[in-house]
Amino acid sequence: MRQRAVITSEEEYLLIDRILAGERNLYATLVDKYKSYAYTIAMKILENRPEAEEAAQDGFIKAFHYLKNFNRQAKFSTWLYRIVFNTAISYKRKTKPAFQSIENSIIEYSVRADHKIEQDDKQIFLSQAMNKLNEADRLAIQLFYIKEFSMEEVAEMMGQNMNTIKVRIHRARIRLADELKGILKQEAATL
Amino acid sequence: MNKISSAKEEQLLRYLDGELDAAEKIILEAEIQSSAVLKTRLEELQTVRLFLIRKATLETPSRNFTQKIMEGLDNQPVRYLFSPRKGLLLLIGVIIASGIALMLLTNGVFDETNTSLIVDATPFKNKWIQNPSISIPFNGKILVNGIIFLNLGLAFILLDRTILRPLFQRRTSAGF
Repeated sequence: MRQRAVITSEEEYLLIDRILAGERNLYATLVDKYKSYAYTIAMKILENRPEAEEAAQDGFIKAFHYLKNFNRQAKFSTWLYRIVFNTAISYKRKTKPAFQSIENSIIEYSVRADHKIEQDDKQIFLSQAMNKLNEADRLAIQLFYIKEFSMEEVAEMMGQNMNTIKVRIHRARIRLADELKGILKQEAATL
Repeated sequence: MNKISSAKEEQLLRYLDGELDAAEKIILEAEIQSSAVLKTRLEELQTVRLFLIRKATLETPSRNFTQKIMEGLDNQPVRYLFSPRKGLLLLIGVIIASGIALMLLTNGVFDETNTSLIVDATPFKNKWIQNPSISIPFNGKILVNGIIFLNLGLAFILLDRTILRPLFQRRTSAGF
């Protein structure tokens, strides 16, 4: 399932050298290796498939043009993800938030509540609670739980220091647990 | 004990992440066994953790994702100096500054054609420089006109780079 293990960092640097020397078709190897991760980052930010795909592709194209500026002391993946992250953020700033009908969400809830089991309820409540988190906390926690990204990588990607990311992740988990507690209390009261 | 301290919550999170050493783990597990509040909190945090793990799946882009990138490699990334909002604010500022300068100009504030700019050069007074005051004649009206002209040029560039160009590029890309 994991495509990343196919080429090593040294091979990756050699590949970059060859791309910079003019073998641009080799860039497809790097794209194939990182496309799922880049797209996932963009999806977490934009929450819209076509836009996320466009932003991720734009990020890859930018990375290609700035490849000669890539500092090899850092990991190529981290450098690339940072570009994709910033591209997706600027896409998000450009687009207006989608209008959500309150009426529809009530209908959706009442239909769903009749059929789903308790575990699903918790998942849905937690999804709603995720939307109540501030954007940076939500992104930090979502990226951190994608197992391939270490806390250092998340920090690098978001352009923040490690301690800030640590605080964001901790705060988000506590906040979600508090929301869950509130929901469970409400449920108990209605029984 | 109804309220859990943040230090204890932090410890519970570290426990769930497998970051506690063996001794800490044994002590905490004993505490959890004897405290219903801690047990409930651990369950809540565990539910959150499982939810986050379940949500953290990798997304799969479309099949022609790589192909589209390879076809777009010749497109130079667009670089904007300012965001449209900042550009608009700067443009408004430039227009207001030019307007004020123009108003002062029409009111005759700069009508004195030959103003002397006197620079006091006392520190340079020596045997070669006897009179340290240097007088530079300049025409105030021409200077302000020049500033207004430069401002209008700047306003035009701002309008083009931060508002018109991104707007038309977005419209073009939306048309695909």
